[in-house]
Amino acid sequence: MKRKFFAAAAAMLLLPMLSSCMKGMPEEKKKIAVITKSTTSTFWHNVEKGVNAAATEHNIDVTFEGPESEEDYITQNMMIRRAAENGADAIVLSAIDYKKSADAVSKAHDSGIKIVIMDSAVDSTKINAVVGTDNSDAGKTAAMAAVSSFKDDEKKYIGIVNIDKNSYNVRRREQGFREYIQAVPNAEIVDTVNVSSNTGSATTGAVTMLRNHPEINIIVGFNEWTTLGVGYAVRQMELSGKVRAIGFDTNVVSIAMLETGEMDALVVQNPFSMGYIGVESAAKLISGKSTSENIVTETRVITKDNMFDESSQKLLFPFE
Amino acid sequence: MKKRLYGGMRLSTITVMAIGISAAASVIICMLIFNAVFNRGLRQDAATSSQQAVTQTAVEVENYLDDLKKRLTNISDEIYRSVSVEDAKKSISVAARFENDINAIVVYDADGRILMYGGGDGEIKKEPCENLSFDKEIFDAAEDFAVMPPHVQTLFKEQYPWVVTIARRVYRPALGGEVYEAMDFEFSHIANYIDSVGIANQGYCYIADSDGKIIYHPQQQMIFSGIKSENTEELLKSGEGVHFEKNVIRTVKPLSGSSWSVVGVSNISDLVSGRMKKVFAGILYAFVFCVAAAAAAIQLYSQIVTKPVKRLVSAMQTFEKEADSFSYRPEPEKVRELKILSATFSHMVGMIQELMEKVRREEIVLRKTELKALQAQINPHFLYNTLDSIQWMCERGKTDDAVKMVGALAKLFRISISRGHELISIEDELKHAESYLVIQSFRYKNQFTYKFSVDKSVEDCLCNKITVQPLIENAIYHGIDRMVDEGSIDITVRAGENDDIFIDVKDNGIGMTEEQCRNILQKERSDSGGIGVKNVNDRIKMYFGEEYGLSIESEPDEGTKVTLHLPQIRKEPENEA
Repeated sequence: MKRKFFAAAAAMLLLPMLSSCMKGMPEEKKKIAVITKSTTSTFWHNVEKGVNAAATEHNIDVTFEGPESEEDYITQNMMIRRAAENGADAIVLSAIDYKKSADAVSKAHDSGIKIVIMDSAVDSTKINAVVGTDNSDAGKTAAMAAVSSFKDDEKKYIGIVNIDKNSYNVRRREQGFREYIQAVPNAEIVDTVNVSSNTGSATTGAVTMLRNHPEINIIVGFNEWTTLGVGYAVRQMELSGKVRAIGFDTNVVSIAMLETGEMDALVVQNPFSMGYIGVESAAKLISGKSTSENIVTETRVITKDNMFDESSQKLLFPFE
Repeated sequence: MKKRLYGGMRLSTITVMAIGISAAASVIICMLIFNAVFNRGLRQDAATSSQQAVTQTAVEVENYLDDLKKRLTNISDEIYRSVSVEDAKKSISVAARFENDINAIVVYDADGRILMYGGGDGEIKKEPCENLSFDKEIFDAAEDFAVMPPHVQTLFKEQYPWVVTIARRVYRPALGGEVYEAMDFEFSHIANYIDSVGIANQGYCYIADSDGKIIYHPQQQMIFSGIKSENTEELLKSGEGVHFEKNVIRTVKPLSGSSWSVVGVSNISDLVSGRMKKVFAGILYAFVFCVAAAAAAIQLYSQIVTKPVKRLVSAMQTFEKEADSFSYRPEPEKVRELKILSATFSHMVGMIQELMEKVRREEIVLRKTELKALQAQINPHFLYNTLDSIQWMCERGKTDDAVKMVGALAKLFRISISRGHELISIEDELKHAESYLVIQSFRYKNQFTYKFSVDKSVEDCLCNKITVQPLIENAIYHGIDRMVDEGSIDITVRAGENDDIFIDVKDNGIGMTEEQCRNILQKERSDSGGIGVKNVNDRIKMYFGEEYGLSIESEPDEGTKVTLHLPQIRKEPENEA
């Protein structure tokens, strides 16, 4: 009898509480911090668009930040720590340094934050999902595009322009590239320059390499900036048509170079998808839903011939 | 809780179950009805709102396209009116600059070469490798104005905006015959409008052309990236109107004067779930209220019905066990039936107890009467024998003995009647016993001696009459009669320690076994004469209580001692009858 009375009393007390709940307490929005290598390139702009689209779609608060320099892992690690301190529920990260951000990522993961790696990995097992291009495969694709215009018996002298050694994605691309080239007859990688991840440094590096090795007839850049550097070097030395220039990612300048023939092929990723899926995966992880651990976004080789195909248009030229 | 002596459900349990089941049933029925009625209404509402939004959007887009055509016509007119090519170039350049949704205005010759252009940000390419804004086929196929699907504009260096080209073929002799006047317009205006269209919760509109190709979608980039897709082609085949799918309503509205259609998409599941949530909240509220009310009702019910009933039940159970000492006081009940029940029970308890008391009293009276009737009997043989003895004495002239004998007989009778009193003084009782002994000693000449030793202080205490005499009678008949030697009977009256009295009748006769002792106290006397030992014992117990009575100590060949245990009660002037 007594117990029933208490139950009744409890129900009476719960009633107003329930009704206040029903009136809709503003639901706490989940927070996702997207930390990238930089925020200035076209690639990252497009990632940001995808991030924002996903944030709107899934009703999430996102922050999008990255250091000014694509080599500044210290700032990036600081951003990871700050995101953790600010109560982010998940971090979507494109790591500058494969090794040096591992610790920060592990710590964030240990404090209960979901980690989604986008585009470039870290040396940590404490990761919930990986989203991005299969970089090794993309490197292979680039190699295929590089040698596609040559006959087997033609000599292929290859120059590589790449950035800092510690960045995982570009390393993987170069690895994939080299692996493929090894099997190509009469192909030789003549020189490799490692430059800072900016157009100026890349241009200088590429020009120097082309001067030192005039036999080079294939030159490859592995990210947006080195690609531009390669293109500008070809333009400066008026080697358009003589040296086959291969690059990664797009921006209006490299597309224009493709049109003018200074660049011959671009391996294009789908940054919008990457950003979108990165955030979407993180959102799913936060709400406890399952998501696949490794999501590969598409890449495509764009040449002058297919650049204005309807599907290429959609990939190359983001809708503003 | 009392241990459950009886099976069956408790009243409170039944009540809780009844209320719970009825509440749940009503909630379920409510939900079913609601689902049927509300869902259909909701779908209808959603369809209507979707249709309205789509129609409005269609009108807006139509107006915009008409407006663009009008502007192109105006520009065309201006070109036509221009006095020189330079003048014409200037006017389209001005026009392109002033219209902020126009990216470029271009005049092509019949082969697609650019004759003049206006607008555009930056330098025009010398030899555009591919001009996506010019398609002779589409231009020629159009009756009046040609509208190209969205594409990237490739006219200007390092500029790749997404545009839609609207063009028409005109005859301009000043420009060398047939020319195409084309206008690349940006999505900004349409985008602003389409983006702002909201249908219900997460509904939206988009524009597609007749092939199902998307012209503009609020999530254009997601469509481009392949994250999202719309199955427009099939939808357009099913034509204008509202199309219901499982959770989605799609509304198609073709635009007049163009191959485009506006498609409205609204998600009813969101819509329904949104409102369902509110209704569920209401239902839950009602349910909780129901349960709370039920709990309160049960509380009240138990307070005024169950508890009193339980109390009554337990009272009845107690009464069943101990009817004598039970007392019941009816509680002031709130429910009429219970009040009656309680009062009736109380009355019943009173009546039963009264009846029981009456029965008991009657039984005692009956028993007393019975015992009295027994004690009134005088063994007729004894009387005849005594009278024979007296006669014999008179015949022999033993007048003294005869007088003594008659005196003793008279005393014996007087005391045994005692005016009908049951209790007499010990003194009288002893006199009665002595009279009996006097008579018997004549009959059993020289066979026994007797002796009284009496504590005088208790002589005036009361005892049942004819208690000592039966013991003496037993001693003579069963103990001494069969002896060869002379027997002796000792009668002792002594005061006990606890205000009680012991009267011993001791003989030195043949004695009894233990079994005989026990039997003697249980059996009525088999012969018809006189009063048995059991009768004596019963009477003492009935008058003085269970702790008093008779005890026998006996040893075969040694003798028997019978002890009467009595309380010390003094005679009062008016004692019990």
